[in-house]
Amino acid sequence: MQIYLPIAALSLNLFFLVGIGGAVGFLSGLFGVGGGFLLTPLLIFSGIPAPVAVASVTGQVAAASTSGALSYWRRGGVDLHLALYLVLSGIIGAFGGVAAFAALRAGGQLDLVISVGYLVFLGSVGGLMLIEAARSLLHQQRGMVVREKLPHQHNWVHGLPMRIRFKRSKLYVSVLPVLGIGVMIGFLGSLLGIGGGFILVPALIYILRVPGSVVIGTSLVQVLAIMAASTILHAINSQSVDILLAFCLMVGGVIGAQFGASASQYLRGEQLRLLLALLVLAVAVRFAVALLIAPADAYSMSGFGVGGGA
Amino acid sequence: MTRAISLMVLAFGLALSAAAHAEKIVGGLSDRQISINSGFAGERLTLYGNVEPDTGATEARVAGPFDVIVVVTGPVSDRVVWRKDNRFGIWINAEEVRFDNFPSFKWVLASGKLSDIADPAYLDEQHIVLNSFSDLVQATGFGNVVSMRSQLVRLMEQKQLFGVDEKGIVFQSNTLYSGQLGLPSDVPNGSFLAETYLFKDKVLVAHKAEGFSVRKAGFERFVGEAAHNYPLLYGLTCVILAVTTGWLGRLVFRR
Repeated sequence: MQIYLPIAALSLNLFFLVGIGGAVGFLSGLFGVGGGFLLTPLLIFSGIPAPVAVASVTGQVAAASTSGALSYWRRGGVDLHLALYLVLSGIIGAFGGVAAFAALRAGGQLDLVISVGYLVFLGSVGGLMLIEAARSLLHQQRGMVVREKLPHQHNWVHGLPMRIRFKRSKLYVSVLPVLGIGVMIGFLGSLLGIGGGFILVPALIYILRVPGSVVIGTSLVQVLAIMAASTILHAINSQSVDILLAFCLMVGGVIGAQFGASASQYLRGEQLRLLLALLVLAVAVRFAVALLIAPADAYSMSGFGVGGGA
Repeated sequence: MTRAISLMVLAFGLALSAAAHAEKIVGGLSDRQISINSGFAGERLTLYGNVEPDTGATEARVAGPFDVIVVVTGPVSDRVVWRKDNRFGIWINAEEVRFDNFPSFKWVLASGKLSDIADPAYLDEQHIVLNSFSDLVQATGFGNVVSMRSQLVRLMEQKQLFGVDEKGIVFQSNTLYSGQLGLPSDVPNGSFLAETYLFKDKVLVAHKAEGFSVRKAGFERFVGEAAHNYPLLYGLTCVILAVTTGWLGRLVFRR
């Protein structure tokens, strides 16, 4: 059953859209990430113009992170104080990201920046996760007890000035790295059409030492706020948010996420992290191939001022 | 004095041409208004016509054989073509040419091989072939404009937005013809022009132009207009929709 997407100005199969929304939602429920990093490339490969894909996925990630954030909120897994700082700085970053998006689109280098951005961030985060997960799996097989780094262990970040106490996270830390992380995630999220959860969670754990009980819930609140802000900014700036496309993805994503969350109970934490690392790396490799191997068609085109309006 | 002479020459010329080309095309399109709604997956448009004696022509019937070429052009837009090149080991867009007022749709349907119907130079001059455009098309940028333009035509052909179908027009009798034009699902919105050229012995004998429009209808039209006219409200609606969907999903599946 074909459905016409009014902003993308083309029709796609409804079940295909809900299906990829569901598949990515399943993975996002399984691994506790937003799934934007998978969904945006998938949509671009299915022929949806890159600006529409990036802008519409922000709506889908907002829906997925609402579900997640609500579950963590009920369990008390959200540090609202910390989230407030991350959200405010993140929205500033989102303004920068959407402005950069428009400038790069006009200059013709949006595809390149999206590809390189995915490659760098997915490649480095995926690589680190893979090493970390493989190491802990190996240690477990040898029967060694791995001592996890505890939240109160300090690093150089904790020596910075302007410290603030975050009660729920049991942190007394400088506000500078918190704001820095917020701005960076907001910028990258709105530029690349990803929630940024897979960068934010490691950053909160390894840089700020936020305890595991609140890290995912807090990051989901920040992702929700950034994606909501990006959706509005993209709608104002480029009119490239396709509400019908976003809604199809949301419905699939929300349903898939529930099944993913159930499935995650059958896998151990290290196994989950290893699988997620492989998935992230696979997407990074896909982008590397596109950049490094001669394209089948050296020519590409893009249209302006058509397909929109009435 | 000179003005009167030139008027007389003009009147004489017109009378001569009317005598030489005593045909006209009577016909039309199956649809003047193509509406895009939620189930839109492309559409087929039927073009038909009959060759008849022109008003005031001396002969009571027309003599064939005729050839028909129909050129359908869509609304113009600005398009950018890029050529990727290997720089520092990675493939990036190195050449860029922007074409302003470039047609977003152009199909040429003909009742036979174009080169058999008329002189290729003439077809080129009349912008009947795919690679020929009106002077309104302006190219700016760095790169080889001529090769980039033919690449743009090739890319548009790949998307089925441009094309030539030399079997697209079929004569049912000596004078009655019809043809079908396929509009893809990502057909641009706006005003289209279908120009019909009637040839006899490689000479243009009649010409006729008709417009039709492709418009979003109903909900699709509402969404398109809302996104452009009320972007803030549209964005807020998207966010509310997202939060509600997420919240409902949570409620429905709560364990």
